[in-house]
Amino acid sequence: MNQIIGTSVSRKDGRAKVTGTATYGAEHQLPDLVHGYLITAKIANGRILNIDTQAIERSPGVMAVFTHENMPRVFTPTNDWANSQIYETRLPLADDRVHYGGQIIGLVVADTLERARDAAHSAAIEYQEEPVLVTAENATYEDSPPWFGEDFQFQEGTFETGDFAVAAADAPTTLEATYNTETELNSPMEPHALVAHWQGNDSVTVYEPTQWVRVSQGTYAELFGLPTERVRVVSPYVGGAFGAKAFPWPHGILCVAAARELQRPLKVVVSRRQMTANTGHRSQTEQTVRLAANTDGQLIALEHTARTCTSPVEVFSEPCTAVTPVMYATPNLRLGQELAVLNVGTPTFMRAPGEAPGMFALESAMDELAWELGLDPVELRLRNETQEHQRRGGVFSTKNFAACLSTGAEQFGWSQRQMQPRSQQQGDRLVGWGMAAATFPGYRGAAMAKVRLLPDETAHVLTSANDMGTGAYTMVAMTAAENLGLPVEQVRVEIGDSIMPDGGLAGGSQMTATLAPAVMNACQAVLETANAENAQQAFASLQESGRAAYEATGSAAPGEEGTEFTFQSWGAHFCEVTVDEDIARLQITRWVSVMDIGRVLNAKTAASQIRGGVIMGIGSALMEECHFDPASGHPVVYDLATYHVPAHADIPRIEVTFVGEPDLNFNPMGVRGAGEIGIMGVAPAVANAVYHATGKRIRSLPIIPDKII
Amino acid sequence: MNNFIYARASSVQDAIARTAEDPTATVIAGGTNLVDRLKVFLEEPSQLIDISRLQMQQIERLPDGGLQIGALVTNTALADHADIRRDYPLLARAILRGASQQIRNMATVGGNIMQRTRCPYYYDTAFACNKRQPGVGCPAIDGVNRLHAILGASDQCVAVHPSDMCVALAALDAIVEVAGTQGQRQIPFVDFHRLPGDTPQRDTNLELGELITRIILPPVAYARSGVYLKLRDRASYAFALVSAAAALNVSGEEIRTARLALGGVAHKPWRATIAEQFLIGQPATSSVFEKAANLALQEAVPLSGNQYKVDLARRLIRRAFAVSANSGGMA
Repeated sequence: MNQIIGTSVSRKDGRAKVTGTATYGAEHQLPDLVHGYLITAKIANGRILNIDTQAIERSPGVMAVFTHENMPRVFTPTNDWANSQIYETRLPLADDRVHYGGQIIGLVVADTLERARDAAHSAAIEYQEEPVLVTAENATYEDSPPWFGEDFQFQEGTFETGDFAVAAADAPTTLEATYNTETELNSPMEPHALVAHWQGNDSVTVYEPTQWVRVSQGTYAELFGLPTERVRVVSPYVGGAFGAKAFPWPHGILCVAAARELQRPLKVVVSRRQMTANTGHRSQTEQTVRLAANTDGQLIALEHTARTCTSPVEVFSEPCTAVTPVMYATPNLRLGQELAVLNVGTPTFMRAPGEAPGMFALESAMDELAWELGLDPVELRLRNETQEHQRRGGVFSTKNFAACLSTGAEQFGWSQRQMQPRSQQQGDRLVGWGMAAATFPGYRGAAMAKVRLLPDETAHVLTSANDMGTGAYTMVAMTAAENLGLPVEQVRVEIGDSIMPDGGLAGGSQMTATLAPAVMNACQAVLETANAENAQQAFASLQESGRAAYEATGSAAPGEEGTEFTFQSWGAHFCEVTVDEDIARLQITRWVSVMDIGRVLNAKTAASQIRGGVIMGIGSALMEECHFDPASGHPVVYDLATYHVPAHADIPRIEVTFVGEPDLNFNPMGVRGAGEIGIMGVAPAVANAVYHATGKRIRSLPIIPDKII
Repeated sequence: MNNFIYARASSVQDAIARTAEDPTATVIAGGTNLVDRLKVFLEEPSQLIDISRLQMQQIERLPDGGLQIGALVTNTALADHADIRRDYPLLARAILRGASQQIRNMATVGGNIMQRTRCPYYYDTAFACNKRQPGVGCPAIDGVNRLHAILGASDQCVAVHPSDMCVALAALDAIVEVAGTQGQRQIPFVDFHRLPGDTPQRDTNLELGELITRIILPPVAYARSGVYLKLRDRASYAFALVSAAAALNVSGEEIRTARLALGGVAHKPWRATIAEQFLIGQPATSSVFEKAANLALQEAVPLSGNQYKVDLARRLIRRAFAVSANSGGMA
């Protein structure tokens, strides 16, 4: 391996995307297609007393109305995260209960979208309203229950080593601070949408964006009582997901159920407004960090507790403290997670779930400690490195965190920093420099891929995996090209279809580490089948023999390596902000990110992933927030003009550098993921820079002008 | 969206006649705000009268040295016009700080003036809203109201007018010329939009059947020193939290003329005449600007979530005057 892996290759799907020929879920055109529009609740807690469905049915073009009174039968899936899973365990239209504002309470099907929408809007609905609770300060918190199990994420109640209280009591320096982050919406460019097409009652094709094609397939099969192979999920393009498109949501289940009743292809698109309640979000968090340190900065004790919120119909605890035992060594570590129920939609995974808000608290606190001790924050981090995961055990397979810090500091010119806050100016603006660490677990699953070598001298790779904008098409092509000895242009990749071999999950930053080894094995297998050393020899033998193709399937899966090692990516961000303090105008003017993600497969798309993470982190730092009306419980944002994500003008040039080494204990290609680590540490780097600029410590995100003046 | 008739107006008189005889008809030009409202059932007109092809796309010099702007001039064309950039830079800069390039390409001057106030409670029919249904109440007053009004609001409505362009037009003493069944009339810009009072459903004083035909910019000595300062939650494509349009004519050591209008603070572009009058004859110093800012905001009544706006507005006013006194330019 050396010619293609590690180079910069432009996206294979880029042209199709920018010219509009890439077909997304809702764009699949089918004869006799009809349109569904969701009816959503105007109360946030209570019961539906009556929906005047007869009036809806009389509306022009309406073909059917589904409510809790005529919801077709669906079965409860196993929900084991491996074969089937739904985001919200209450099935759609299960009963007359309304648990949160904007909850789906019906579906109108009509011949056109406009007629379905009109009928849904005019629906006369009587409610019995009950008091709503959307204000976290008024909620009752309880210890967070286990969720994935101890192995995967650590969110159960508390975890403790040593004795925090005793150790902290004697420490020369202690620090306690509480940090808040607001509710954030995943906000992918492509809204949630699907087309369901039944062939009779026992076979269905679902065109839907999904991060996990085969589990989507398995879930729909269980929901409708079908053998898995009777469900086909087609998802060639996913227009962003950030965690919110891994499993079926209520609208998807409802669409497939209604399509079976009607025996017509049915399309349901969730409007941007409806997405606010029905397709996930990141919970607001309240976190308290207590640090106790020696005078030389060594951490004697560290406590990190988090309070997050979930919906009445699903347990989802934002695992803020998962990151803490990875970052800094201490003999006395205490972690706690609490959870409260609000009348809000079901929260879910959002890019670096838990870890991103957790890192805001931890890395802000470390910065505060550095100031307290008069230490360089880079130095403070170096003094507290841990070589093992302090909760799950296992030494880090590779760790080049120190190199991330030193390379970043050098590129940024960190040594030129004037130590004191408010000491750097540019004209009448204050200039602040801030830094924070980044880390993210290396996850890997099992995957398969099929490779075919064809007489036209192309290789064809097929796998159910998907590309949600990350560069998976290109990653697969590069891996195949490398292992077959072909130019990338001669590799065709087809992904995102459940009839193909199981390509695994695009989530937890694991698609590359999961799939690339399987593609590599498939390539080696097909060359063995052809009795060839490379693709050219195989093509020649196809020519000679007149054979149509060589084909082989390869698979790869993690082994026992996880018992010995913990796999973890590392990084550091350095940034500069200018603050026009008098008018509360803040601009981020420089950004340097240095990352250790193991072997970099595609230098171009990997850097893009990091930049995307930084941009999303800047959104979290400066503007993203969803508020709920305290009286009615409804979200008070409804589109991308009211829920702000960064515009180009908010983003400086982002310098990305990779350091480190292939993580060959992790997988044969030595790759970890790049999808989530970029967002880690971004918000605290900004907040730390704002402190350096202004002397004002802002402990709640986003940092809006109200908080600067 | 209900069914409606689409009709293309053949002339200004045709558009007036059609809208005068049908109170539920709505005029459409660029559609950048109206189409959004239609899609979410804020309005359900019986007819859309398309005026976009009428001949009102000219910017012309008037004999007195002012300019007249056709109602259908796009925001982009207006902001890019050489005479506007030279003589009324405040207006060009305000426009360019609004919306996005794509929206400005579609949006007309008349349409920008006619856009409705922005309030998330108004835009989502899940909420009650006096603007949509008079008398049902305003949940924003005790709700999430960080973006809402601090001046001139009522117990019926606390929404704010979103336009940047209109703040500049208010400061520049622009005149809105409208045509109706009774002929033409001219409305001073500051009297065109309304405060909510007991009729929050009405944003403007345009009468049934009236159509904006042109905007008149008078020749004013202070125009070239105009400054537009806008603070928002992101650097582009966001409405103002607070904005300030300020212009000063300083002669010798004395302020001869002052203009100040604020955006993001009220149901209409907010002209601060008390502050303007105070400034006449005063020296252009920071303490004078501070006093002017305090005067401009003395009647501010912040809500639970927008107290910051009073402080922010005061700071923006000070800065905008300071830049204007220093011969204007970017702020």
